[in-house]
Amino acid sequence: MKVELYEIAMRRGLSRRRLLQTAAGAGAAAAMGGVFTGASVRPAWAQGNLRAEILKIPGVGMGSPTDADWQKVGEMCLGPTKERVAAGEFAGVELTFMGLNNQNLHNFLFRGFLKPWEAYTGAKINWIDLAQADYNARLQQSIATGTVDFDIIEMGAPFEGDTAGRGLLDEMPDWVKDQIEADDLVGYLQPPVGTWDGKSYRITIDGDCHTFAYRKDYFGPGAIGGETVPTTWEEVNAVSKALVGKTDPLTGLAAHGFLDPLKGWGGFGFYFLEDRAAAYAKHPDDPAWLFDPETMKPRVNNPAWVQAIQDVMDLIATPGAYPADQINADPGTTAFSQFLAGTGSMLTWWGDVGSNARTSDSSVVGDVVGFSINPGATRVYNSRTGEWETPAGGVNFAPNMAYIGWGIYVTARVSGDEKKRKAAWSAAAHLGGKDISLWMSAYPSGFQPYRNSHFIYEEWEAAGYDREFVEDYLGSNLDSYNHPNAAIEPRIPGIFQYYSIAEDELAKGYAGQYASAQETADAIAAAWERITDQIGRESQIALYKASLGM
Amino acid sequence: MIPEGDLLHVVTRDAISPARRAAGRLLIWGSFALLVGVALVQALNAAGRLDLGLANWRPTLYAYAVWATCLCIGQVVLKGEQGKRLVFVLPAALFTVAMVIFPLIFGLTIAFTDWNLASLSGRKFNGWDNVRQMWADPFYWNALGNMVWYLLAIAVEYAIAFGLALLLNAEIRARRFFRVAFLLPLMLSPVAVSWMIGKSMLEARFGPLARLARWLGWENPSFFGSPEIARLTIMVMDAWTFIPLMMIMLLAGLQAIPKELTEAARVDGAGPWQSFWQVTFPLMLPVSVTAILIRIIFKLKLADIVINVTAGGPGGATDTVTSFIFREYRDRSNVGYGTLLAMVYLVLIVIFMTVLMKLADRWTRPRT
Repeated sequence: MKVELYEIAMRRGLSRRRLLQTAAGAGAAAAMGGVFTGASVRPAWAQGNLRAEILKIPGVGMGSPTDADWQKVGEMCLGPTKERVAAGEFAGVELTFMGLNNQNLHNFLFRGFLKPWEAYTGAKINWIDLAQADYNARLQQSIATGTVDFDIIEMGAPFEGDTAGRGLLDEMPDWVKDQIEADDLVGYLQPPVGTWDGKSYRITIDGDCHTFAYRKDYFGPGAIGGETVPTTWEEVNAVSKALVGKTDPLTGLAAHGFLDPLKGWGGFGFYFLEDRAAAYAKHPDDPAWLFDPETMKPRVNNPAWVQAIQDVMDLIATPGAYPADQINADPGTTAFSQFLAGTGSMLTWWGDVGSNARTSDSSVVGDVVGFSINPGATRVYNSRTGEWETPAGGVNFAPNMAYIGWGIYVTARVSGDEKKRKAAWSAAAHLGGKDISLWMSAYPSGFQPYRNSHFIYEEWEAAGYDREFVEDYLGSNLDSYNHPNAAIEPRIPGIFQYYSIAEDELAKGYAGQYASAQETADAIAAAWERITDQIGRESQIALYKASLGM
Repeated sequence: MIPEGDLLHVVTRDAISPARRAAGRLLIWGSFALLVGVALVQALNAAGRLDLGLANWRPTLYAYAVWATCLCIGQVVLKGEQGKRLVFVLPAALFTVAMVIFPLIFGLTIAFTDWNLASLSGRKFNGWDNVRQMWADPFYWNALGNMVWYLLAIAVEYAIAFGLALLLNAEIRARRFFRVAFLLPLMLSPVAVSWMIGKSMLEARFGPLARLARWLGWENPSFFGSPEIARLTIMVMDAWTFIPLMMIMLLAGLQAIPKELTEAARVDGAGPWQSFWQVTFPLMLPVSVTAILIRIIFKLKLADIVINVTAGGPGGATDTVTSFIFREYRDRSNVGYGTLLAMVYLVLIVIFMTVLMKLADRWTRPRT
């Protein structure tokens, strides 16, 4: 969405849902740079039958998809591969694929999708499955010790500095760009993301950002959470405190407000503090919000970040605000064991909470879940002036583009063998195909929508999704992707080291071992300074600036 | 050849010629010179003094294998029958050197470097910096402090294990069934225990143990909410897994005690308590000490349950040295510092166990 349109909408107090439901909304949507009307959408309708057919597998509300479903979808989406690869062309080629096994998704899906590809091309794929928490270490060790033992890798954009920066990746051939229809990607995933020194390396399969999920039965006339859904972190905290002692309308157990994950998650848990902090710390006139781009001096202990930490500490200090044992809840717990299972009323997470809410067997909140962009704040800190400011529209929103999404990359191991190289890129392109990606964003996969063609709500409605739900869920993603003040993650080496030590220090702060939020933040800043010095301050400054487009 | 001398242990008495001795020495020292030469060339290559294009240290490994083989053959050539005896042991010793000593030396060289895997500049020697960092690292000292608590818990585990062993040694019904049943936790992987018990049964809201706690009157059961309770819960889960190990050792010890001794005590008028305290317990001391020492070694390695269930929290209350090193090394790719922490911990364990074994030896030595 264009800046001026967004600001007009916010000033008028229009919610995003109302915006999309009105004629004005349709006009605004048409102006959003091809999202709804662009040429990229037309080919999707041309092959509408295929897209409609794959969305029926297994069908919304028919339980979690199985390996047979994944294989079926993979088989049906082989068309683009068959156009470029002859049957049996890769006979004798053996590839190794390294990816994740989170929630039995990711690699499990890829296996199913690629089985028909293997049968058609004759290639064989060996798999390296990693838990999310093990991923970073495995990749870093492979890089540092020169033991890259995989040809294809599922990798997040934050690692591009570590891999592409060291010449470990193979440049994407042009035919792959055609096959995956790369120009269909949403704006923030277009280059420079996925490129390094002007060369393309990444087949995007995911578009990451955190969005705000809430329970609709907590909000509305007479509801226990108040008339309206909170739109600022101040309101989120006020509601969380006010819910203490009330009863959850769905489960009959104790009602709770926002679910902050208070336990570390191999570095990934830090994104959830970022959700809160971005609203206070990401100034619309300044692309940087984690470090000072000229010196790499951490901003994590500035008043904005301290406020975010203080917000969490305030809820910890309010008995009953969080479920019992929240101090031991990581993000996996807050999303899948708590929110989807009916505990708590507000959460920020990646978009797969949206698709899982309706399609996962373990979800009980499918009918009562709503989505919007992350809450904002009524004041924003300007790091340049060192002053708090009142945002132009009254609220500063800064959706967190946490992790920028997963991509499939091919390593330089295959560069010397043209047959193997083509096989690797063909496998990767199959997973990043336009049609298969629609299925992945509609069903539990670990990935969220990332193409303009994913936002054709008619397709979702035809698949069995509730139109209002899907507009709500997809709209929160679309608004975040196109937000003018989106908080973009820096693609610098070792970014998860910063997050990991921050998790350790936050755990101490949350457990009361530091005297204040400021002291906690200072400890994180000191640890970040040490990491920057160890990795190399000058190179980090250069890469940080490059990632910010400075 | 006339057999003479130690006929019991020496089958033949070899008459080894000076030429054969020289050949043996040449074989051993020649292959050793080859090993040293290759290692030296590789070191120069690694230091950038020579450009041989060697990408790894495999040539040195192959030279080591050649030297080890020549050393074994050389022993037989040089010493004949005596050499053959050495060859029974020498390969195992050389294998141990390759698998333990070399990695230890390599580890020591890493421990004194600044090596962050994300750093483009790679590994740099940084002297005692890592030691100084460790000295000022509150996370490391906190983890060491926690280890003291975890070790103290062994006393309680020992008492429970001894009680169970006594029960299973008694004439009770379905004794064999209970022996197997009590061993089951030991057969489970600690990771499985973490998920089944720590993440599922102890789940604060829907976990069966949480429900039981609520039924018993604990309004808001929280097994990991406060530092003390979280540490206690970890101790209980770890104990549940490893008490069977101590129990089975103690049970074996109890079964080895001749029944005549306890019967004689009973004839002499000793009650059950006196019989246990004056006869059984002293006889069980050597087994007890062994069981406790083994348990201590297991306890010092405690990590998997902590990593999976609490990640060291809340606020480091359940952190162990191993789980902290795991985070430092794995999550933060801080290889140099992580290795130093592991080395220091190894030295601490060696010192601690040596002292403990000396003391145990003194305690269990029969008084004269």
